[in-house]
Amino acid sequence: MSFTDISRFSGPKQTVGYALLLGVSSLAMVPEAALAAGTRAGTLIENTASATYDVGPTQISVDSNTNTVRVDELINAVVDWSDSADVMTLPGSTGQVLAFSVTNNGNGEESFSLSTISTLGGDDYDPTVTSIVIDDGDGIYEPGQDTVYIPGTNDPVLLPDASVTIFVLSTTPAGAGDGDRGGVQLIAASRTGTGAPGTSFSGRGEGGGDAVLGTTGGDGSDDGFYSVSAASVSLVKSASVLNQFGNANPIPGATVTYTIVATTTGSGSLANLAINDAVPTGTTYVPGSLRLGSTALTDAADADAGRFASNAITVSLGTVPGGQSRTVTFQVTIN
Amino acid sequence: MLRNLFLFAAATAAVPAFAQADPSVSLASDVMVERTTVGPDGRTQVSLEEPSTVVPGDKLVFVLRYRNNGRQPAADFVVTNPLPAAVAFQGSNDGSAQLSVDGGRSWGAIGDLMVTEGDGTRRAARMEDVTHVRWTFAQPIPAGEAGRLMFRGVVR
Repeated sequence: MSFTDISRFSGPKQTVGYALLLGVSSLAMVPEAALAAGTRAGTLIENTASATYDVGPTQISVDSNTNTVRVDELINAVVDWSDSADVMTLPGSTGQVLAFSVTNNGNGEESFSLSTISTLGGDDYDPTVTSIVIDDGDGIYEPGQDTVYIPGTNDPVLLPDASVTIFVLSTTPAGAGDGDRGGVQLIAASRTGTGAPGTSFSGRGEGGGDAVLGTTGGDGSDDGFYSVSAASVSLVKSASVLNQFGNANPIPGATVTYTIVATTTGSGSLANLAINDAVPTGTTYVPGSLRLGSTALTDAADADAGRFASNAITVSLGTVPGGQSRTVTFQVTIN
Repeated sequence: MLRNLFLFAAATAAVPAFAQADPSVSLASDVMVERTTVGPDGRTQVSLEEPSTVVPGDKLVFVLRYRNNGRQPAADFVVTNPLPAAVAFQGSNDGSAQLSVDGGRSWGAIGDLMVTEGDGTRRAARMEDVTHVRWTFAQPIPAGEAGRLMFRGVVR
């Protein structure tokens, strides 16, 4: 029924005194106010009109009957993956954390069961979900402080408009390759029921009314993603000999210059990469010959990256991103 | 007839003003919920139903039916309906209603009303600010006459 149709019902044949102030504004449909949770389920809407009129000199007042409409419970669960970007992971890593928020967009207190699906299409691998964890309220995953979710035992109970942070912990398969993406879907389903939007559960709503499934059908879900960011290093070692006669014959007294090239590949980076090399048997390390690129390093264990100890050289390269190379050289003499 | 009238006047004079007792004009209130469905042919169908299940966002239609059952015209007929707190006003059927956003102290069209916010600032009133809706009849309701008034609201 349109607004125009409704006018068929308006039957006062009397002229209404306020007609002079009749404003178009009161006919225009205003945009509906933003309804998040809305009126709490179980609220009674009671409507009573009253009238006064004069019969002769006497003013008389009359009340209408009272209509009472109980607001039923609307169930709406909303799940949002809350990490700002793919969560970086490495092949074989355990306890990799995705963060989600679960919000009760309904108008009654509601309990939600949580579940995950990791066999999503459109990604490269399936993370292995090891646990679902309920945040203690600070939005930060803290093992031991946050509570591991056990279905049916500690289903989150949310007031209207309330939300809770949920962490999904997964293991990244060892076979996942660099740059691969793996998704996990978190599902929050109303314990009252799920189904097609508009489905009604008689008498199951908060406050004794019905429970009605909203636009999400009583359950909400969202997908979160990991991205494998692996890196690897390859080492190539070469030697050049220069003897006291100016040629490359490896005779006693000849100097051997070893060159180690470390090349990193992949989209990730390698933390605390260090190059160790033992001085070969039958040779003697040339003190002060250690270099990283063109930079000379001291043999002492000090502020620079290199040291010589226990008849071996060590160069600490720190964190090296993929796609770079570092060259370490040192010299020995043949005994 | 004259004698009857005299008796009637005497009877009513004995009770205080705003007496509830006189049944000559009846006022009945009804609430319905407006449902919009899209049929298989893609056409939108709007129906009014009993409000058996009502959730936030549902559109309600309030219908007030009055009838003068008495033998006298009812003059200065004024119908007032306070909005239930959980209902946001959405307009009256013919725009003839006066509105109040301050609990019935002042009245006017929505464009003429102002709302004072909690911090003291004033702004133009919006439909959802309406607290009361009122109809004032310029002409008496003749004996035996009936009619309807209507306004719409949405469950907050």
